[in-house]
Amino acid sequence: MTRNSLSVRQRNTGLIATAAAAVIFITPFLYIFFMAMKTKKEAALFLFSWPREWHFWSNLTEVIMARNYMLLLAYMNSTLITVGAVTLLILFGAMVGYILQRRPSGWNRLIYAGVLVGLMVPPAVVPTIWVLQGLHLFKTLQGMVLIQVAYGLAFSVLLYRSFIATIPRDLDEAAIIDGAKPLQIFVKVILPLLRPVTVTLIVVQSIAIFNDFTNPLYYLPGKENVTVQLTLFNFQSQFQSQFNLLFMNILLVTIPPLIVFVFFNRQIVAGMTAGAVKG
Amino acid sequence: MAGVVLKSLKKSFGAVEVIKGIDLEVKAGEFCVFVGPSGCGKSTLLRIIAGLEQATAGEIWIDGREVTGAEPSDRGIAMVFQSYALYPHLTVRENIGFGLSLARLPKDQIRARVDAAAAALQLGPLMDRKPKALSGGQRQRVAIGRAIVRDPKVFLFDEPLSNLDAALRAQMRIELTDLHRRLGATMIYVTHDQIEAMTMADKIVVLNAGRIEQVGTPMQLYNHPATPFVAGFIGSPKMNLFTGETARALGCTTYGIRPEHLALSPTAGTWQGKVRHIEHLGADTVIYLDVPSLGELVARVAGEMAADRGDMLWASPMPGREFRFD
Ligand SMILES: Nc1ncnc2c1ncn2[C@@H]1O[C@H](COP(=O)(O)OP(=O)(O)OP(=O)(O)O)[C@@H](O)[C@H]1O
Ligand SMILES: [Mg+2]
Repeated sequence: MTRNSLSVRQRNTGLIATAAAAVIFITPFLYIFFMAMKTKKEAALFLFSWPREWHFWSNLTEVIMARNYMLLLAYMNSTLITVGAVTLLILFGAMVGYILQRRPSGWNRLIYAGVLVGLMVPPAVVPTIWVLQGLHLFKTLQGMVLIQVAYGLAFSVLLYRSFIATIPRDLDEAAIIDGAKPLQIFVKVILPLLRPVTVTLIVVQSIAIFNDFTNPLYYLPGKENVTVQLTLFNFQSQFQSQFNLLFMNILLVTIPPLIVFVFFNRQIVAGMTAGAVKG
Repeated sequence: MAGVVLKSLKKSFGAVEVIKGIDLEVKAGEFCVFVGPSGCGKSTLLRIIAGLEQATAGEIWIDGREVTGAEPSDRGIAMVFQSYALYPHLTVRENIGFGLSLARLPKDQIRARVDAAAAALQLGPLMDRKPKALSGGQRQRVAIGRAIVRDPKVFLFDEPLSNLDAALRAQMRIELTDLHRRLGATMIYVTHDQIEAMTMADKIVVLNAGRIEQVGTPMQLYNHPATPFVAGFIGSPKMNLFTGETARALGCTTYGIRPEHLALSPTAGTWQGKVRHIEHLGADTVIYLDVPSLGELVARVAGEMAADRGDMLWASPMPGREFRFD
């Protein structure tokens, strides 16, 4: 089948589907964008309309300076949490996945069962807070990083494990004969081959963690610990009527994940299908 | 130069004993081939020598040193895998030099040794490619290069040619034999292909169900097989073997005659049979006879043979070429 042999009906269906997807995904974004440009009074009308006056700069500076530059602090906190948690997720996910796949006996079978349980059992908030308090990690960024790692680890271990199953064991053994120690096998032979999964995980997890609203809300109270999603929460209560600023804030918070997504887009698809053709 | 000695080697996987006591001496510089049917434990034995698998009992000596518990990299061996096992993310040059760079050799020394190994295998123009961009034969050569560059005392090959097509396999057989002569190293080579065994080996070890059936040169095994198993395994087409009543009538428990040691005649002979099938191979002809007193009898005669399916032919064993096993 060549591209030209696409029938008229197939082409029309494709065009309609694309148009529908564009409308569904772009309309809300445009709405946010327009709202963010409006004056306080115009925004309060909640119309999907072209702004009568453009207030980009004034809205922007006002949002950034609100509450003593809280948004900048939030950006920093969220970035620290995201980078820290994703780094640990990748490192431990790959290592644990590797060991579980290559040596599936004894204790490892139990650990694998534990990983599956971690995927199935929903976390309980109050006991988690007790544990954090016991470890003196409650209300700290380190604690939040560990929470995100704990919540995401099962998923990344499973993803790595199933991908590593497609890497022939002969490679490990060739490296052993070449004189590689276990850690060297992992770092020099296995890890470079995990790139597709790693990119997928970086995108999926960093967007999820950066966008996380509930977990920072439970585990990271305190003004100095604010994360980007919580700045929306603060805005809504303080500027009850200033929806133009709220939407400007939403716009600013949406941009980083969007950049990550656009940047890695092609590799994500490669990563999702990479493990799929396993025999 | 280094020999390999195995002393009452055993290996079990769980309750299943796969290697059931192997005693073997491979002399320094010898090309030794392990043959046997699928699942007889050839790969397992090779992996025990390499140190990738721990023996359950017994000892392994390489170059006069006991290495039973030694790390694979300390045994002075190199291994070529059936799947080649090239590192996909590294170029040919990095693949060959991987072991040397792990050993932290100086860069210029690595370069020199890798270039020398590559020159020996005509890999020159491929050095900066990734394995993905190589043909099967080229990958095989890179895998061999990776073994050569380590300058091992003993080379271990696990069915290295089985993924290649027939023509390339024939060429690689010659190249490997050349390589062996040039390096003078000890080589242990696993295959289930008896042609590879016959053409390349100084010494063949026939394995069956975890035990050694017979050890000898190719011609020793061909001319003096110790057991019916060896007799049936070495030679192509397979030796005609008869057991039971038929053999008892001929004065033994197993009677064997090779297809090429049967003389055919349209008029007279020992056994008369009807031609069931003929294979014209050009240089010789293989004829399948239905003999009422024996069953199926396969004969091979040189050149063309004017016979048709359904013809009646007489077959007679050449004197001194019959095998009688008790
Ligand atoms: N890791 C293992 N665990 C359990 N059994 C094994 C393991 N490796 C090999 N075996 C068994 O040991 C026996 C010998 O296997 P091996 O791979 O040595 O055979 P082989 O002679 O190399 O066969 P082939 O010609 O098919 O490669 C087989 O029955 C196999 O099922
Ligand atoms: Mg094998």
